Amino acid sequence: MNTYYATNLLVYAGVDIIACLALNLQFGVSGITNFALIVFQAAGAYAAAVLSMPPSSSPDYSFQLYVGGYNLPFPIPWLGGALAGAALAIPVGLVVLRKLRSDYQAIALLVTSIIANTVITNARTFLNGAAGLALIPQPLDTQIDPRSDTYSYFFVGLTAVAVAVVWIIAARIVNSPYGRTLRAMRDHELAATALGKNPVQLKMTVFIVGGAIAGLSGAILAGYITAWAPSEWLYPETIILFAAVIVGGRGNNLGAILGALLVPVGFEEVTRLLIRLNVGPPNLIPALEWVLIGLFILGFLWFRPEGVRPEPRRVFEGGPDG
Amino acid sequence: MADRPMLIAEDIHRRFEGMQAVDGVSLEVPRGQITGLIGPNGAGKSTFLAVVAGTMPPSSGRISFDGEDITRLPAYRRARRGLVRTFQLPSEFARLTVLENLLVAAPRHRGDSLWGALLGRRYWGEDEERLVTEARSVLQRFGMSAKESDYAGEMSGGQKRLIEIMRALMLHPRCLLLDEPMSGVHPRVVAEIQHYLQTLRAEGLTILMVEHELHLVEQLCDSVFVMAQGKLIGSGTMASLRRQREIVDAYLVG
Repeated sequence: MNTYYATNLLVYAGVDIIACLALNLQFGVSGITNFALIVFQAAGAYAAAVLSMPPSSSPDYSFQLYVGGYNLPFPIPWLGGALAGAALAIPVGLVVLRKLRSDYQAIALLVTSIIANTVITNARTFLNGAAGLALIPQPLDTQIDPRSDTYSYFFVGLTAVAVAVVWIIAARIVNSPYGRTLRAMRDHELAATALGKNPVQLKMTVFIVGGAIAGLSGAILAGYITAWAPSEWLYPETIILFAAVIVGGRGNNLGAILGALLVPVGFEEVTRLLIRLNVGPPNLIPALEWVLIGLFILGFLWFRPEGVRPEPRRVFEGGPDG
Repeated sequence: MADRPMLIAEDIHRRFEGMQAVDGVSLEVPRGQITGLIGPNGAGKSTFLAVVAGTMPPSSGRISFDGEDITRLPAYRRARRGLVRTFQLPSEFARLTVLENLLVAAPRHRGDSLWGALLGRRYWGEDEERLVTEARSVLQRFGMSAKESDYAGEMSGGQKRLIEIMRALMLHPRCLLLDEPMSGVHPRVVAEIQHYLQTLRAEGLTILMVEHELHLVEQLCDSVFVMAQGKLIGSGTMASLRRQREIVDAYLVG
């Protein structure tokens, strides 16, 4: 295993873990079926890209068309990515979360995801359309040579810090009385309302916080692969993350991490291996991958709906059992 | 102000697609008493209760609670003011424990906001301890202490009813709106719930309750309103209602 391969694996794992923690907060804990999660990751990636890239009029970048181009140093692109995810959550949430019942919310968000991708693909002058953005600067690449091993370690370290920060935020929310209120809303929204909870406000807050976290994951990804295009964030990407959270254990942050390692990372690696073995026609393996993910979701929902690591039962000290 | 009614509904209408579910109901719920709301199936009792609680907006009419016009207040704000409803169908938070079901209802918890949560346990731990103690005393009073760590979704029908009532009490309500609190409950638990409601009344709580079982209404309620086809057709004590021919014909036959 060379450094490049290991770095790749670890950074992708970090990005998927962050995205899964966001989805767990929204879907696992609060019951918001956000089928558009990947759009928030994309918003973060694009925001980080245009914040760190020079204007598209500059000589090396003139082959692509995009708005902005602010040439800003790290960590502004990452923070901007998180901010963009949060900002996008406000209008989307106001439209989707206020009036619609939860099953319709899921459909509306799925459609939002498809529309967003189509619009960005075709609006070429906005973010360079289908071709996407390339030559996105990497964090601190003027200080450390991005082709060196040192840089690989550095990037993995940065990703780990981001994972740790997101983990602390997610853990504090989930394990607090606020998290308890979110879980209550998930289990019975009307009853929570009758106990003085404002479900619209709760859902909007979670949508914005989750949007920010997903946005951060996109910013990390854009700064790592140095390119970002609509083909990176097609709606099925969200389904993979759902599979991860369902397999790992809805409502459990550790489960979300486990799911992120099992599903997106695991599948990617297995696929890579199989492609190398060169079996069947070229599209067979990626197609089978989708079949497998579908079977995986169905199998878990059927046989173990609570996932590998179920939501923990909270027992309080000093009770009859404790 | 002790004699002022706790709840006043004035000319409440609620229309559904071509149907008047509640058709001009006006009534006053006296303070510190248990008031019954009875009537045949489809009379509009639950709809009326939902309108009072704010979980359903009225088509027209006015509601005031303890002297304050609350017609335009959303349901969650009415609950925070102390007007708390329960539901006809079990509405427990299934994947929360019994104790957590009670804790959710506690108002003004420092940890029950995003910022409070992010500040961590050191910020809200004291509130939590205080409320756990309070919730446990409520559990003890309702004989549910042994169940505190069990999932609410695994409780029996009667226990779920008790959870709902205990949860409502955690809000320190001034008025409880109970929608058939005894339906689907084992007779032994019915007697228990009846006892608890009487104790709450003795402590001064105002209760408006929709109920089907007339003998329970007779034992529990100080006064009763009768609804049929969306309209109020009578009121008084059960004994006086039984003497009114048209009410007996409409509902009390048997």
